[in-house]
This record gives sequence, structure tokens and C-alpha cells, in this order.
Amino acid sequence: MKEKIKTIIIDDERLARDIIKIYLKKFENVELVAECSDGFDGLKQINELKPDLIFLDIQMPKLTGFEMLEILEEPPIIIFTTAFDQYALKAFEVNATDYLLKPFSAERFAEAMNKAIKIITQIPPGKQKLDGLMKVVEKRNEFLDRVVIKHGQKILIIPIEEIRYIEAQDDYTMLYTDKGNFLKQKTMKYFEENLNSKEFIRIHRSYFVKLSSVKQIEMFEKESYRVLLHEGKQLPVSKSGYQNLKEIFK
Amino acid sequence: MTNPFVTNKKVLATYFIVWFFIFLVHLSVLKFFLNIQLLTSVLDSLFFNLIYQVMGISLWYTVNFNSLDNYNTVKIFFNHIAAAVITSGLWIAVGYYIMTHVIIGNNIYNEFLIKSLVWRFLIGILFYTVIIAVDYVIIYYSNFQEKLLKEAELNALVKEAELKTLKYQINPHFIFNSLNSISSLTVSNPAQAQEMTIKLSSFLRSTLSKNEKQKSKLSEEINNAKLYLDIERVRFADKFEFVEEVRNECKELDVPSMILQPLFENAIKHGVYESLEKVTIKLSCGMEKEYFKIAVENNFDPESVPRKGEGIGIKNIKNRLKLIYNQENLVTVEKVKNIFRVTIFIPV
Repeated sequence: MKEKIKTIIIDDERLARDIIKIYLKKFENVELVAECSDGFDGLKQINELKPDLIFLDIQMPKLTGFEMLEILEEPPIIIFTTAFDQYALKAFEVNATDYLLKPFSAERFAEAMNKAIKIITQIPPGKQKLDGLMKVVEKRNEFLDRVVIKHGQKILIIPIEEIRYIEAQDDYTMLYTDKGNFLKQKTMKYFEENLNSKEFIRIHRSYFVKLSSVKQIEMFEKESYRVLLHEGKQLPVSKSGYQNLKEIFK
Repeated sequence: MTNPFVTNKKVLATYFIVWFFIFLVHLSVLKFFLNIQLLTSVLDSLFFNLIYQVMGISLWYTVNFNSLDNYNTVKIFFNHIAAAVITSGLWIAVGYYIMTHVIIGNNIYNEFLIKSLVWRFLIGILFYTVIIAVDYVIIYYSNFQEKLLKEAELNALVKEAELKTLKYQINPHFIFNSLNSISSLTVSNPAQAQEMTIKLSSFLRSTLSKNEKQKSKLSEEINNAKLYLDIERVRFADKFEFVEEVRNECKELDVPSMILQPLFENAIKHGVYESLEKVTIKLSCGMEKEYFKIAVENNFDPESVPRKGEGIGIKNIKNRLKLIYNQENLVTVEKVKNIFRVTIFIPV
């Protein structure tokens, strides 16, 4: 073992962090480098301290655990700790080593730790994501209500209401909002699955438009339409996009 | 349906009174327009009307047999024509037979009787028509009543079911997080772990028992809420304080059970969970016009981007109060600067 495994605990409850600390004492080659009580702090500490392993709660002030991971460029090995069973399913994929449901036993904790240690010590960094990782997926019972963006050094949380339209940019998407344009490292498919289709309409392979920012739909050529936004911008409408619009205005 | 002329005394009495008037009219026509002797007129009117009166009661069965729901209109129409002809024919035959045996040797009357048979037959048809029309109205009316009754019952059931679904349910997330805190405290602070276990148990017990009841005293509700806040205080250390401004006249007030709990959960979820600063949760209760006004407020971080999904608890409360008190707008939600306040109005 060359050096100790650096660990950060991110949880908004002190007692929840305490029990992890207590359990961690049994692992001598693990060093706790920071404790964070919200997602923003967690993000900052991860970027500064570059830990090998994090314990991450999901529901936290400011930024949820999932949102935090979305904007992390090189996420460390993650062990989720949460009381949320509903997060264990579907739609929002994050690679995690294990998933501890609160409250958890020392044995269950050790099992997760051994899995994590094995990955950290045996597999060279960079390849870690490919092997032996489980996928933790968030189940969204509701539609997306905000989007987290990394804008330069700043983290922005954009309420979904502020987005006027979304444009595909290769594998990413550009969000056009009242406050500017932001690149989000998510695909159109992600938005297709998580946006309220009554609020945001897929008018084209490359465009979602928010219904309330549409001024009018106009005939462009024969059988071809365009959407005119309040701000004056025009967006193309495909055949199936026109069907989607018709569904809404029916 | 049973024959209302047999079972319902009011209907039967009305029926007799109507027939008595017909008897009088019949009598008058014979006596004053056709100048038939009084005794003969009385007997003619009495027998003929008495016969139809008895037959009329049994016409109910022809109506019941020809229920409007079961057959098509044409079939019902022909059934009734046949029944009308038979009834009326039978009527004049029996009447004629009796009268010819009662009044003997009165040639003028006999001649009149024979001549009048056609008219009597037609009047018989008319009686038939009126009676079955009344019968159909009675059937329709009682069906309608039954339907109203059933509808009212159904509405009551729906309301009950709705109230059940709107009832407060313990948030499993809260339970598991509390258990996790206890698990942690058993190592670091066993005494506090014990205290918290007891508090959590009390809270669960009173929540479970309260959900059986529709209403409870506000003071009980407040005690329960305090248990909840105590548990949350262990989880979130000093992140919030609780202020209570409840006037004494409010304490005995009956409120829908577990009506405050979602408000406090809301305050914790959107105030304490999302904030890094200290949060004050305030409960107040006072009178305003014909209402008790109960308000729960908390300060929140205006910078935090609100997550949707809030308001399901509040929406449930709105619907519950609406169902219980039959009044709209018993809940108001205000967001002023950094204060979030939910007020519920309980009619006196």
C-alpha cells in the first residue's frame, strides 16, 4: 500500500457523518480528509483535495448529491448513503461502488468499504469506472425542476422556468435562458425523459421549446413550419415536431 | 316494487277521495242532466265507480309488468291498448249485469243503460289511461328518489375514501433518517440515543392512533408536533428554534387530526433542510371573525432555488378542510421576503 486512501464524507446530518467516522476507524489505511454538510462545500472539497473515495448523501441543502455528481469532472469512487429507497431506480445514471441504506450495520459498511478499497488499490485510475461498479439511478417521480450548470468556475442552478429553449450540440445541449446560454453535459434524450412534455415541446430533432415562450407558429413553406419566439428568434419545426405541437393545441 | 295503493295509506286515501268526486260528478250528470231518478242515479254511479275503483288498484300490476325499461315502446303501447279494452269491457259487462239485476222494470233506465254502454266504454278507456299515467309517475318518482338516495350514499362513501387518502402519512424518509441518528448515537451518546428512541416511539404511537380519529384537540396536535420537532432537533442540532404563540382559547379547539404535522414537515423540509442559516419556526393561533386562525411560518433562504414537489402536503390539507367543513379557501400560503407562512382557518 503506497499511501492512505483519502476520503470525504458529505452529509447534512452530523450524526450521520459521525456513524461513518466511527465505522471508518476500523480501516487503518483510510484517511478522512474532510467532512461536508452540503453539496456546494462537497464540490469544493472534492476539487481541492482530490479524494479517492466519498460517502455521499443525496438529499442535501443547495445541491443534491446527484446534482453535485453531474458537474464533477472526475468523480472519485462513490458510496451513497441515503434513506431514500426511491432513488435506487431508473432514469438518472451515476456510477457508484455501493449504496448504503440508512441505517446500516458495521458489517454492511465493511462490505462496501472492501469493495471500494479493492477497486481503488487494484485498478489503475481512469479505468475504475469500467469495472465492478454498480449503477445508481435516480427515479424521478416528478419532472425536472432545475438544472445544475458548471459555468467557468461558478456553479449555477437554473430553475426550469427560466429556460426558453434547448438546442442539441453534438452530445451536449445548449440551454437558452433569460440570463444567457449555458452548455449542459446531457443529451437531448435526457431532457426528453425528464422534462414535462406539456411545458417543453420537442419541435425538432435538435430543439425543445418552452410553450410559454412561443409567440406564434407560422407556415414557412408548403408543409413546413417554423416557431417564432417572443424574443424574435425563429426555430425550425420538423414533421413530428409539428405533430407534437398539434397534440398540445388540440 | 309493491303496489303503493295497497301499502301506502296516503296514496290509498287520495285514491278513494278522487273516486268519491267521480262518484258525485257521475251522480250529478245522471240526476240533473239526464233526469234519472235519484235512487237509480245513486245506484248506477255507486256500482259502476266502485267496480272500476277495485279494478283500478289492480291495474298497477299491468304497469309494473310493462316497465318502461324492459320493453320497447311499441310493445308497451299495444299491451296497454289490449289491457284497456279488456278492462273497460269487463267493467261495463259487470256493471251492466249488476244494474239489470238491481233495477228491474224501469224501461227508461234500461234503454238509457244500453245506449250509454259505448260512452261508458270510452270513459273506461279514459280511466285506464289516467290511472296508468299516475302509476308510471309514481314509479318514476320513487325510482328517482331511490337514485338520489343511492347517489347521496355514494357521495358519502367517496368523501370518506377521499378523506382517508388525504390523511397524513408518516414520511418513511424521516423514520429512516431518525433511526440512522439513533444508530449513530448508540455509540457516541447512549443516553441521548435512548431519549430519541422514546421520542420517536411516542411520535409514531400518537400519529398512528390519531390517524384513527377524525378530530383531536389543538393542544394534542401541538404536543405531537413538538415531539416531531424535538426529533428533528437532534438530527439538525441547532439549525432551528421553535416559537409558540398560541392563545389559551385555542388550546381546546377541535381540529382535524394531524393537520399541523404536514405544515411543520414543510417548514423543516424547505426551511431547515435547504438552509445553512438558523431557521425559526413559529406557530401562532388566534381568533379572527368566525374563524380560528392557525399559522405556521418559517424563514427560508431566498437564494435557494426552490424544488418543486412542495405543496403536496398543503394541497392535501386544503382538500381535507374543504371536505370536512364544506368551505373553500380555508388555507392560505404566503411568501413575503424570506418568510414562508401557511395559515389555516377553522370555522368556529
